[in-house]
Amino acid sequence: MTGAVAVAGGEAVPGAALELRAEGVCKSYGATVALEHADIALQAGEVHALLGENGAGKSTLVRILTGAVTPDAGRMYLHGAAYTPHSITDARAVEVATAFQELSLVPNLSVAQNLLLPRLASSRSGLISRADVLAKGREILLRHDLERIDPAAEVARLPLSDRQRIEIARAAENAGRVLILDEPSASLAETDWLFAQVENAKARGVAILYISHRLAEVRAICSVATVLRNGRSIATVDLDDASDGDIFEMMVGHRVDPARPAARSTSGPREARVAVTDIAGSELNGVSFDLNAGEVLGVAALEGQGQRELFRCLAGVQKPEAGEIRIDGRPASYRSPRQALRFGSGVSYLPEERKTEGILAGLSAATNVVLPFLPRISRAGMVGQGREVSAAQDAANAVEMNPRYLTFPIGELSGGNQQKALMARTLASGAKTLLLFDPTRGVDVGTKESIYAAISAFADEGGSVLFYSSELPEIVQLADRCLVLYGGRVFESFSGEDINEQRLVAAMIGHHDATGQEATR
Amino acid sequence: MSEVLPNEASTSPAPVMGSLLRQLTQGAGLIVILYVALYAIYGYLQPRALEPYAIAALMNNTAPLALAAAGQTFVVLSRGFDLSLAGVISICNVTLAVVPIEGPGGAALSVLLCLAIGASVGAVNGFLVAYLRLQSIAATLATMIICQGIALVILNAPGGFVAEWIVYEMTDRLWGLVPVSGLVVLSVVALWLMLRRTDFGVAIYAVGADEQAASLSGVNVRRVRFGAFVGAGLLYGLAGFMLSAQTATGNPNSGTPLLLLTFAAVALGGTSLAGGRGGLFASVIGAATLTLLQKVLFSTGVSSFYTGIFQGAVLILAVVFSTAISRIGEEK
Repeated sequence: MTGAVAVAGGEAVPGAALELRAEGVCKSYGATVALEHADIALQAGEVHALLGENGAGKSTLVRILTGAVTPDAGRMYLHGAAYTPHSITDARAVEVATAFQELSLVPNLSVAQNLLLPRLASSRSGLISRADVLAKGREILLRHDLERIDPAAEVARLPLSDRQRIEIARAAENAGRVLILDEPSASLAETDWLFAQVENAKARGVAILYISHRLAEVRAICSVATVLRNGRSIATVDLDDASDGDIFEMMVGHRVDPARPAARSTSGPREARVAVTDIAGSELNGVSFDLNAGEVLGVAALEGQGQRELFRCLAGVQKPEAGEIRIDGRPASYRSPRQALRFGSGVSYLPEERKTEGILAGLSAATNVVLPFLPRISRAGMVGQGREVSAAQDAANAVEMNPRYLTFPIGELSGGNQQKALMARTLASGAKTLLLFDPTRGVDVGTKESIYAAISAFADEGGSVLFYSSELPEIVQLADRCLVLYGGRVFESFSGEDINEQRLVAAMIGHHDATGQEATR
Repeated sequence: MSEVLPNEASTSPAPVMGSLLRQLTQGAGLIVILYVALYAIYGYLQPRALEPYAIAALMNNTAPLALAAAGQTFVVLSRGFDLSLAGVISICNVTLAVVPIEGPGGAALSVLLCLAIGASVGAVNGFLVAYLRLQSIAATLATMIICQGIALVILNAPGGFVAEWIVYEMTDRLWGLVPVSGLVVLSVVALWLMLRRTDFGVAIYAVGADEQAASLSGVNVRRVRFGAFVGAGLLYGLAGFMLSAQTATGNPNSGTPLLLLTFAAVALGGTSLAGGRGGLFASVIGAATLTLLQKVLFSTGVSSFYTGIFQGAVLILAVVFSTAISRIGEEK
């Protein structure tokens, strides 16, 4: 760790007033390029926003700047001297501190202990004095207008919003030069306190990097923004000169929409196959919508807007605290995905985490496909491999999966084929309603096309599909209608030709597009 | 399950009843009460139990398990398991039986030897777990098997003699009253209480509770984990030394019976096997309770075959009881 950061005596670079500068940093994980080429320059006493869609590389760039990740290439300078942190401790040693999105407080320690980590003991005795720790903690809390928080309280007992405040206060305390705030307002109801802290740091001449999905907030506190798209820094703009439309365009990359397939014929009266009324609980704050027969309904949202909980509630994994779900007009009374599969016309769920929730790695692909309906194909309770494979065959064809793979242990297949097998399982279940959570996550383009085709074919035959995707083009291409979730609610909904990436992005960050239609529900 | 606070800055002006209950579940309160109650029963059944020589004998029996459980606590607190103690204690025991060094100087040399053995094995464990990121149970299982093999190479059958000075002095009483083995355990507890008030002590709890958060907070997680294993190894070495003093002979399998009992002692002391919560003193008393239970059962004429059944039952009761109490405390 020592000697990793050379700050003193580095070569002077013109424009050394730049507090922290990164040039051409990139990072790959195996074949996946997380960050292709990013340039960013933070000025002392300035609040700089970092904008981008999910997967644009924001979090990778933040991890590189904080020292948690070492870039594959590129150069970074702090105060004009080379800055190459190999750990968070390195970064902190040169007064670059971060308030992490996932919060980095240790739950079983007190507020004061957390504020002082990792060094609590006085340098003279090497021993920790409890009174001393509390006094120092109280002092830090006072400095950040948090005197109402008891420094002796255990962090695990504090509400999330206070934990976030402590996280921010600790970072601000340690940030002599650079303060990185990653989604600092995620669990704060109001931003007054946060903005006051940012202003304080700014007044001290600290360079601040502010990452937020909320454009209104960014406009309120930041003066400059750098936009990332597909792992590249697209532009750094003065926020006063850039309209919201300009920023969305930079985030998405184009104004024109990709060609949408012809709208599905909507012949015949549509009956709501799934009717959701005001469901709430955990991240959800009252979500209502209908899903009709023969319809593909997309869900677009940034991370953590309640989409996960929505799917889990519909799938029977989790019970909503309030509200009602009706399937085919009957109140849904199932308590597990297994029961959901048999309820009414059936609800089948493709979970998010392939590795942990989806596959049984040791069993063959065919077994994985037929698992939900083993009893249907068994004879006197016995199931032979031949029967499994033949039963899985049709489903495999629907997703263009090579039948050869059906007898392989699913754990040995590629990610794409695993996903195809899971998709096949969801289709083969016989349910009329599919819940697909990010069905193409981490799969190659060919597999994506197969999965899109399977979804469309399923809807054409009268099936209903609710799918969440972190990739907007996918929603634009597939969805007949699209709901945008924001803060646990349906923020806006679009249908038909109104579904385009720019509108979706605007709604996803809680911004009503003036030209777009208002929320229909 | 985050209601029990292991740290020192955790008292709050809660209602008296609630804080009393919390006091009871936190730290060693419950297990100390259990121990005292059991001792009262023992004293009632065996009137001579309160005489100095009986207390000393009990201490001598308790010390090896108590020290081994203390070592285990280090690793458990930082979220891990350490099986290597069975091997470390065996090596120390056979070494002392094969190479007896007489006199006080010899004893000092012997104890240093044991500490060195423990620290070396602990360093290997720490390297495997903290730096190579092996699962602690797998890594220490391997080192345990290796160490047991080494112990067999040193002495392939029970035998040999531990130095007389160690055997007599380490099991003796100072001024006819204070058992030496008790002092050894007490000094370890004192060292622990001191360590708890260092950055390393706080870091062990932090790493055990949330490794990721601790790391993002600037704690050097690898160094802390490594340190926990080395500290544990040192205590196993000391446990091996005290065991040798008590048995006076060598046995290449002498550490094995202690292995699972250390986990029982740690759990009985209320230390969470999931890490981040508990303490070393509680484990020591937990170990003492297990040993005392053996004595009580023996003195009531229960066949020693039943000891295990009783120890297991007490463990379940203690864990259920402490969970129930902390739940009540939580509701206050």
